[in-house]
Amino acid sequence: MIHLILFVLSVAAFACLALSMERHQRDVVRRVLSAQATQQLRAMGWALLVFSTVFAMRGLGVGSGLAALSGHTSVAAGVVVLAMMAHARRHR
Amino acid sequence: MSQVDRSPKPRGIRQTMSDLHIWVGLLAGWILYAMFLTGTASYFRDELSRYTRPEIATPSTLPDAAAVAQRTVTAIMADTPAASQINLSLPSQRMPWVSAMWASPGGRGRHGFDSGLFDASTGAPLQARDTGGGDFFYAFHFNLHYMPAMWGRWIVGLCAMFMLVAIVSGVITHKKIFADFFTFRWGKGQRSWLDGHAAVSVLGLPFHFMITWSGLVMLAVLYMPWGLAKLPDKRQQAEVISEMRLFLPPQKAAGHPAPLTHVGALVQQAEQRWGTGAAGSVQVQNPGDENARVAVVRAQSSRVSTTPNYLLFDGSDGQLLQIKEHSGVAADTQGVLYGLHLGRFADAALRWLYFIVSLAGTAMVGTGLVLWTVKRRAQLPDPQRPYFGFRLVERLNIATVAGLSVAMAAYLWANRLLPVTMDSRAAWEVHLFFLAWAAMFVHATLRTPKRAWIEQFLLAALLLALLPVLTAMTTSHPLWHALAMGDWAFAGTDLTLLALAALHSLLAWRTWRHAPKAKRARPSAASRNAVPEAGA
Repeated sequence: MIHLILFVLSVAAFACLALSMERHQRDVVRRVLSAQATQQLRAMGWALLVFSTVFAMRGLGVGSGLAALSGHTSVAAGVVVLAMMAHARRHR
Repeated sequence: MSQVDRSPKPRGIRQTMSDLHIWVGLLAGWILYAMFLTGTASYFRDELSRYTRPEIATPSTLPDAAAVAQRTVTAIMADTPAASQINLSLPSQRMPWVSAMWASPGGRGRHGFDSGLFDASTGAPLQARDTGGGDFFYAFHFNLHYMPAMWGRWIVGLCAMFMLVAIVSGVITHKKIFADFFTFRWGKGQRSWLDGHAAVSVLGLPFHFMITWSGLVMLAVLYMPWGLAKLPDKRQQAEVISEMRLFLPPQKAAGHPAPLTHVGALVQQAEQRWGTGAAGSVQVQNPGDENARVAVVRAQSSRVSTTPNYLLFDGSDGQLLQIKEHSGVAADTQGVLYGLHLGRFADAALRWLYFIVSLAGTAMVGTGLVLWTVKRRAQLPDPQRPYFGFRLVERLNIATVAGLSVAMAAYLWANRLLPVTMDSRAAWEVHLFFLAWAAMFVHATLRTPKRAWIEQFLLAALLLALLPVLTAMTTSHPLWHALAMGDWAFAGTDLTLLALAALHSLLAWRTWRHAPKAKRARPSAASRNAVPEAGA
């Protein structure tokens, strides 16, 4: 269960971070978001990552927690990239 | 290589690092690819060891560790009364049997050791086909094969060092590591390959760096022996080593027989201290002698670090002699890195994460190797007749990347099909792995590159996809049965093999569909002779 939560948190964090970048805003919402919205997305992404780190360390212990988080963030970032690719192909 | 290199203009750090990255990556790439893929498979070493011994039934419950230890030690002592040393790995969820080694004057293996598997519930020896199981991929990953293990470790260490250089130089070369973090551009030839290579590298970067660095640190004493060599005598060196890993000082036998204490009770004591299921193995020195020693070792699944954790008992009266639960800071640092590399502490979910990110690492090396040819193909004076170096790299890439999948699948086919009564059966599984791999090298030289890629990917897909069928036909663990029983060593392996078969079919299909973009004004057949030396 804790792994599922960590994975969902990581995907959400990277989705926010990706959407705080101009190139991906153009790809996904077809326009550039306001500076304020961009900043909020970036802050949200980083906050989620910090929260996941604390959550992982408290739930699984410092060592295993950090190792698990590293795995979840890597795979989650990969999922976000794949989602961007799939989206780009569909709307080409 | 190209004319840019000869220009007098001083080159920036990025260009220099890029060249370093490309050449270091290429030179070590083929061995690194094989290390990465066999290492990735080794995260499921225990599961593969079960998958390759299908005659052993999967028990529904695990018996109490203390009873198992007692039963197995008694069984081995009854069978080999002269045993001077008995080592047991206690059963776990992943490996539900006892794996034991025991030394005796009549022992057939190295240092007089015999080995065997025992039923956890009855203590009876388990009969299974002679196989390397998951241990072959694991050992090949750092010892290679057909050469002394030490040579293999030096070669592997050199490649890991190259890998570390490639990682650092790659990060410096990659200008927009954050701006391009989520970017992949389809159908843009070299650009797409670069994006793909960067994506699998950057997303798994913490893992890739950790695995490479920790791999070197694991064998640090081999690669840098001078610190330890400074110590004046062997006893002190052994003391240092015993801080780093499980190494019990040899205990001389007294020569006076004395009954061995109840080993199960000692395992129970350890479990009270560390928790149920946390006793991983038992070592008995001089069983049946007055000077017997019993060590109960903590399971690697219960902690990250691999530094030694054990309780040492007097084997004749059961008295606790030593509690070893701490090591020095340096040993602890090495132990944590060692543990992170092996991932033995990982639960099922984390093990899958290890596997997936490690596959990304394999893809990183594979895409890097292919990128070398993609980049240079565009500059070939005559794409039909590339120079020798280009052809060599291209063929080696095919046989390494696609060929290794064929070889690994062939190993599992050999496991299923070689006669059970065959002499040196386990060795022949390995020989067939290398024969299949060698065949792929020959095949890659005989076919055009595109055909070779497609045929080898297709062959790998076919071999992988048919393995579950072969398992259903030749064992009592068909996929549907394993799924119904929740027997994940079999069901999980079969499903993973099917997923890998799908991946290889996809790769074959994409290669088949691939049509190189029309190049800007390639030299026509008539004008080929006009540019003979530009590419070499």
